[in-house]
Amino acid sequence: MLDLLAQTGLNAVYAASYISLIAVGLVLIFGVMGVINFAHGELYMAGAYSVVLFYSDFELPFMIAVAAGLLFVGCLGLLMERTLFRPLKDNPLGGLVASIGFLMIMQALASMGFGVRMEHIPPVTQHVIEFSERVRLPMARLFVIIAAVVLLSALWIFLKKTRFGWALRAAAQDPEAAALQGISINQTARIAMFIGAGLAGIAGALTAPLVSVNPHMGHSVIVTAFIVIIVGGVGSLEGAVIASVVYAIVHTFVTTFFDGVIADITGLSLMLLVLIVKPTGLFGSADRA
Amino acid sequence: MLSKIVKSGLTRRTFLQSTAAAAAASSLPRMALAQDKVIKIGFLAPLTGAVAAWGKPGLDGCEIWAERVNAAGGIKLSDGDYMVEFVGYDNEYDPAKARTGATKLIREDGVSFIMMLGGDTWPGVQPVADKTGMLFSTLLPSDLSPDTTTLIAPAEVHPIYNVTGVEWLAENKPELKTAVMCAQDDALGLPSVATYLAAFEAAGIEMLDEPLLFDPATTDFAPVVTKLIAGNPDIVCLDTCYSDYVHPIAEQLFQQGFKGQIISCTADFYDQMISKTSEEFMEGFVFQFPDFDDPALNADNINFSDPNGFYAEFNKRFPGQWGAVSWEYASIMDLWKAAAEKAGSAEPDAVITAMKDGQGKHAFGDADWWGEELFGIDNALVGDWPVVAIEGGKATIKEFRNIPAWYEKHGDLLVKHMQAYDQMWNQRG
Repeated sequence: MLDLLAQTGLNAVYAASYISLIAVGLVLIFGVMGVINFAHGELYMAGAYSVVLFYSDFELPFMIAVAAGLLFVGCLGLLMERTLFRPLKDNPLGGLVASIGFLMIMQALASMGFGVRMEHIPPVTQHVIEFSERVRLPMARLFVIIAAVVLLSALWIFLKKTRFGWALRAAAQDPEAAALQGISINQTARIAMFIGAGLAGIAGALTAPLVSVNPHMGHSVIVTAFIVIIVGGVGSLEGAVIASVVYAIVHTFVTTFFDGVIADITGLSLMLLVLIVKPTGLFGSADRA
Repeated sequence: MLSKIVKSGLTRRTFLQSTAAAAAASSLPRMALAQDKVIKIGFLAPLTGAVAAWGKPGLDGCEIWAERVNAAGGIKLSDGDYMVEFVGYDNEYDPAKARTGATKLIREDGVSFIMMLGGDTWPGVQPVADKTGMLFSTLLPSDLSPDTTTLIAPAEVHPIYNVTGVEWLAENKPELKTAVMCAQDDALGLPSVATYLAAFEAAGIEMLDEPLLFDPATTDFAPVVTKLIAGNPDIVCLDTCYSDYVHPIAEQLFQQGFKGQIISCTADFYDQMISKTSEEFMEGFVFQFPDFDDPALNADNINFSDPNGFYAEFNKRFPGQWGAVSWEYASIMDLWKAAAEKAGSAEPDAVITAMKDGQGKHAFGDADWWGEELFGIDNALVGDWPVVAIEGGKATIKEFRNIPAWYEKHGDLLVKHMQAYDQMWNQRG
């Protein structure tokens, strides 16, 4: 039983890692730009396909493929900001609708470019850390955990300790006041979009060898991310991280001790409970809810 | 544009004469083609999305089949020879899209027969079938009911043939005593769960736990696998999981240190699974779908024309795409062609009457129209089915086993478990 609990705990840590990377990116974009980016799952998908292209097809080293994924998806974020979100920033629903359109375009492009079926990605490593016969952590999963901790720590330092970070937070709290202080709202939007998209891209790239990479893989991820940001509080980065951990623990343990369908129901029930008890989410503020 | 052409020295009269000649010439091939009478066959299956692996390779196989048949003179009906042409429609495994596709194929394309994967998409199509009387085929006889008089399941008796794999395992590896199972919670997964439960019970293999059902949207299978192997089972059964699930589950089993037997309905693209795990880990993996280069398919009882050549041609055109359904829709077309030629007509009523007149030529041997007890109608063509195991990195047919013979002995168990999962024809919504 102890082994089962330990293995389930490791599974939960991995799940929390990649979910938090995606959710924090989604929250950052919403926080700074006020846009619900429905295409965030497709940015995750684009990161995974970067690994298919650079690692599987071009046989470049995995970490270079991951870096390429980060840059490529970050640039996709910049493209979305400039061509979709900025022109529609005065339309409350414009960004949301445009992101749904972008989602469909991304899926169609992936289908045209790579085909519709699951892509095969050779394993990066088959090394497994064995804590006991029944408690094992594959190195590929450890990479994701380490990357999430490093990247989210770096983001926290960036937001709390740098001028750009302060500007981002100021723009998120009160865009007009920030603009009056000389902060460029367009520039903060670009930075937020690059970082938010890049986080989704790197999550997709790092997990690509561990999941089924296909044009529709973003769908289930975005559903989970929305549950997490609603539980954590829309607009709260800390809330997104903590909610990711809570959701991953609940979902993983319920799957292991009951089944996957009940785990999904439990995850949604958790969201409903939070909405009833604290509609702004665990760490959300009323003005963003 | 016209002014530029005229300035280049071409007179207006010469230009018009050339254009008329070109137009006349371009119409010639069409006139020649129009002399060939064509029968259109609808292919209504998922060509994109998570279930595309059980649609797209089937359409690819049909195109090869059509080329072979057309090269041999086409389909010979009472009023002449007809070339055959497939019209594909991607239903994305969505019932509403399947309904739209069925209507389009019948009304706009004028097809004579529609092949489907079935499952979740059949309820969307059934009203169209009822209204038009069109003949449909499904790979999933669990779609059959007494009301589906124009629906046949002539190639695959999913999931009933899964009993043959379990029966073979029990006889050849009697040391395997316990099993666990996981499946996606949908119209493909649940009847298969009931079938495997019946097969394990008939074989005297104990289930250590209730089947673990997961949402089809699941992406991380580590928790599923952790639960599956927690009780140290001898056998892990992957039910009829889609290939998008079979691969990550097998990889997780490998990474979490499972060393027992794996049985699954399918193992599409198993070479990729070997690459993600190891040849040693995949050795002995039992499933139900052979590669058609298997020498066992050259036996006299096999009713599939040149299986080895078909497999070679498929892999030449679509490298690495061979899967469970690559041959199945083509084998349905063999049956349909034989019935249409026997009836001398492509009319659905005439074809189905001719098709069900006596034994059917199933790809894996002569078979009977069967299923009234289980599906409420004898519209499934059932006989032998192969048990396949991976040996030395290659799928190998171990044996053909007879499904009705198993049902004769253990049918009550199958009915019991089908009822428990609400999968009998009179229980399904």
